[in-house]
Amino acid sequence: MIRGLIIALVLFTAAVAQTSVFPHLAIGGFRPDLLLLATVAFAFRDGALTGLYVGFAAGLLADLLLAVPPVGINALVFLVIGYTVGVVRPYLASESVTAPLALALATGIIGIGGYGVVARTLGASEASLGLVLRTAVIVALYDTLLAPVVFATIRRLSGRYPPERAVQI
Amino acid sequence: MFERRRARILLAALVLVTLVLVTVDYRAGGGGPVATLREFASDVFGPIQDGVSAVLRPVRNFINGIGDLFSARTDVHELQQRIDELEEEQASISDLQREIASLRALLAMDQEMGLETVTAEVIGAPPSNFEYTVTIDVGTDDGVREDMVVVAGDGLVGRIVQATSNASRVLLAIDKNFAAAVRVASSGEQGIVTGGGSEPMRLELVDPDAPIEVGDEIVTSSYEGGTFPDGVPVGTVEALGGDELSRTATVRQYIDFTKLDFVLVIIRGPVRPPPPPVDPDEATATPTSTSTPTGTATSTADPTEPSPTPPSETEPAIEPTPTATSST
Repeated sequence: MIRGLIIALVLFTAAVAQTSVFPHLAIGGFRPDLLLLATVAFAFRDGALTGLYVGFAAGLLADLLLAVPPVGINALVFLVIGYTVGVVRPYLASESVTAPLALALATGIIGIGGYGVVARTLGASEASLGLVLRTAVIVALYDTLLAPVVFATIRRLSGRYPPERAVQI
Repeated sequence: MFERRRARILLAALVLVTLVLVTVDYRAGGGGPVATLREFASDVFGPIQDGVSAVLRPVRNFINGIGDLFSARTDVHELQQRIDELEEEQASISDLQREIASLRALLAMDQEMGLETVTAEVIGAPPSNFEYTVTIDVGTDDGVREDMVVVAGDGLVGRIVQATSNASRVLLAIDKNFAAAVRVASSGEQGIVTGGGSEPMRLELVDPDAPIEVGDEIVTSSYEGGTFPDGVPVGTVEALGGDELSRTATVRQYIDFTKLDFVLVIIRGPVRPPPPPVDPDEATATPTSTSTPTGTATSTADPTEPSPTPPSETEPAIEPTPTATSST
């Protein structure tokens, strides 16, 4: 119960920071995707099941804060990424410094790029493929910059409020 | 093993749920039950974003101040160059007089247009980098409705796409889903301008043979009673393109969308002058044709920012909402 509230609080804070704080700290007009980063950090810490739950919730939150329909694209992309990170987690050194950076970079490119392509396919975005690629790379780099702080915070929180059953996949 | 299977089943179930959500919302076109959820999220986040924005304002001003400091030297250099050019050119008095008249017209436009507006502060951006919208701190409680036009000191900002009680979302003019009827200010040629995302806006003229040049100003057009008031500056033509069948151009917008702080939502567009009062004793007499200038419905965001729209006395109301109130 408390863990659920902690996760909700983390996602809520990430959403507020992403929509209110980081627009003023945008690099070249691009902002980091903190909700995606939080999803990846939780999945990396606690596994695929947590990645699924958190990814779905974070993606749905991001969808609901958008003005252009349809809702669900971010939820789909985030939960798949959360699950995938959870699945590959055993193959990564959990205490490694480089693993969070590599994960933030890779998931940033795949997540943002994936959202851009799906949104474009569904007509929710008119962004060109070039713009999608450029956005994905810049946002992924921004996410990578923030990854050490976000991963450390979530590792600490999740360590204090661990899941009831460890998911080892 | 059990956990792995459980995760796979959950993955399939959640993917299915998201696909259902996408389908339902897509078919509803942004309405229906999902829209209610979206409005709820906006209602919850709006006040928080407002509070965070207020807390961060001094920090933001400080950061902007640093940026301005660095650009000040460049500005001084550019202005000095401009002064030199002007001295060399010795612009004719008639040109200067025309320029002065134009500036005077700009300064007086808000009184003359009779726009009823609500001042709003930009309090948030979308979580996605592919959507060019902002959240502002006024909503239906302030008289804001969907499709109302949003402007700032430099020109057109966008239009309202979602309005809740305390906040609204503005689709910016640079979003690729944005389109507006416009005209070339100098020639009056009609066209449609669409957002270009991080690239310049795109203009397509109705008449492919219409004369247009780089540097021409583009303003909104209320052609056939469209959404936008006539004459709101959009930008200038940056480059020409197209072929014999379609004439296109790229437009560099006036507004710096990375530095939006305060905007005006046009609650009601330019209004016609009220009919003159009729004296009962002279009811049978011929009514006078004189009219008083409107201006009672005007409220502007910042007294230092002139309204961006040029004077016009014959424009139709954008949103005839008699109960709407203005606030500053």
